[in-house]
Amino acid sequence: MKEKQKERKWEWRRLDNSAKIFPISTGKKYSSVFRLSVVLTENIQPKALKQAVSQALAKYESFRVRMRNGFFWNYLEYNPKEPIVEQEKDYPCQYINPRTNHDYLFKVTYFDQKINIDIFHSLTDGNSGTNFFKEIIYHYLEITHPEDFNEEIRGNRKIEYSIEDSYLKNYDKKAKGNASSAKAYRLKGKKLALGAVSAIHEIIDLEQLKKVSKEEGATVTQYLTAILIYVIYQENYLKNKGKKPIKICIPVNLKKYFPSNTISNFFSYITVIAQMEKQGLTDFNKILAFVKEEFKERLTPEEIGKTMSSNVKLGINPFIKMIPLFIKKPLVRLSYVEIRKYTTTTFSNIGRIGIIGKYQKYIQEFLMLIAPEPVEKIKCAACSFENKMVMTFTSVLKEGNIEKGFYEFLSQKGIPIQIESNGVIDVISTETNQQKK
Amino acid sequence: MLYPQKLTSKKSDTLIRIFIGISVVIAIVLVIINKITTPDLHWAALVNAGMIYAWVTVIYAIHKHTNIAAHVMLQTIGVSCLTVYIDYKLGFQGWSFDISIPIMVIIANITMLVLTIISHKKFLRYAIYQLIICAFSLGTLFWVYEGIVHQKTLSYIASSISLINFIVTLCLCAKDVKEEIIRKFHL
Repeated sequence: MKEKQKERKWEWRRLDNSAKIFPISTGKKYSSVFRLSVVLTENIQPKALKQAVSQALAKYESFRVRMRNGFFWNYLEYNPKEPIVEQEKDYPCQYINPRTNHDYLFKVTYFDQKINIDIFHSLTDGNSGTNFFKEIIYHYLEITHPEDFNEEIRGNRKIEYSIEDSYLKNYDKKAKGNASSAKAYRLKGKKLALGAVSAIHEIIDLEQLKKVSKEEGATVTQYLTAILIYVIYQENYLKNKGKKPIKICIPVNLKKYFPSNTISNFFSYITVIAQMEKQGLTDFNKILAFVKEEFKERLTPEEIGKTMSSNVKLGINPFIKMIPLFIKKPLVRLSYVEIRKYTTTTFSNIGRIGIIGKYQKYIQEFLMLIAPEPVEKIKCAACSFENKMVMTFTSVLKEGNIEKGFYEFLSQKGIPIQIESNGVIDVISTETNQQKK
Repeated sequence: MLYPQKLTSKKSDTLIRIFIGISVVIAIVLVIINKITTPDLHWAALVNAGMIYAWVTVIYAIHKHTNIAAHVMLQTIGVSCLTVYIDYKLGFQGWSFDISIPIMVIIANITMLVLTIISHKKFLRYAIYQLIICAFSLGTLFWVYEGIVHQKTLSYIASSISLINFIVTLCLCAKDVKEEIIRKFHL
């Protein structure tokens, strides 16, 4: 066993094109961490969870890695240690300190009925992260309820994936970039003290949301994006006399557009740029019509390909490649101070999380969270399970006006909505409790 | 409940205001003790100036999200060494041990106490620095025992505050401290 581990110690792989940038630009303030959580119907058993993580990791061996510094780039190497599973103590999506996490790039925690996995983006994206998380959940339920799953064949099935850099395989050498160089409106407000992060989950009735979106001729993502722009405009932009455009960055799963079964990162993004006054986007209907048009224009294989290709070209640029890592780091960090100013907020919708029928009865809901940053002070993420769609706002702002505005908008449309939060700011949860009473 | 209970933004703001109030009371009490015990030596003014300095550091660190404990520890030890060196160079009258170091110890311990109470969930990050500050604080008693300190009042106040800080810390975070020590020093 030890011999085998010694051999594996030399296993290493390059970071994919997206992953390269995260260890260089990341720090305590910019964690580049996203979180997936599942709320089960019963309290979590820590020992079973630890066992489940080990079993899932045996199937996803490519996640058994640690980050190392090379001379020009960081790289991933085999990690012989076992992952740590512990009770949740800190705020969500915090920087994963390798020294206190057995060097792993993901961290599994639990609290009451909830299991969390915080993933550093260099390891993988939301799509593959969800698959790994689902594997942990399946194993956990099989361990805690053997009587229900003793005939289940899923447990022994090998998972097929590759670790290729699908960016390099699919990018177009001739494509020209389409990135906007205009700075975005930045959310204003007092920040929370002591590095606190507020998490507010708005649990929405999916059927009703789909119905209302359909009536407006929009997809769920388009509809939620439009509400987000509208609420930012009403609650923050107008009050602070904003002038720059509201820019919403929407990550896109590239596996829908290009053939790939990689478990490394393979995502790109589109940016919806709303020039509020210039384009007369002063009411919701106008904003929704604008968002639909933007999606139609930007969410095409050609446009997405252009964004992806221009990012790949940057990563494979021989001049950038040749700069030693210790020089690259400060240069990238400096340029990221500027790059971050190009987005008002990010809204990531990973869509439906499909769970095998027999396992569904143990699950209440899934949550997805992205780390907010000093510049992008609020970030939003959504995912759905069964008839629940959970829209999560993670924020470093003291005021919860945007979260509250979003909640009120959907309530006024007659869509049933519930609030859960980590209690750091309680503007909506208090009201919801009062409503319940 | 989906999350472990944390201090709400409003509560942490209120706590900071309460601690600033307590600091003002401590400052007044120190002035009174100073007047009664050693009216010729105005050490209370120095402590109060130090406290203002500590609050500026804390409020800055809170807004910048820096690891305050590491700053407190470094500044305590650094400034203490510097004052001993200056005292030594000026003919070693002993004021560094009589006044400077006890004042640094008082300020450091009060700052750590405030930090521990305001954000004891984040205590793990502070644990090692807190232990080093406590160990360093015990030095004041050692120097009294060795006869290096002549004005003992301030040293006794410093070591008492340090002891209170240590006890409060243990009560609030004993489990976390144990976990941190096991994790950091495992073989």
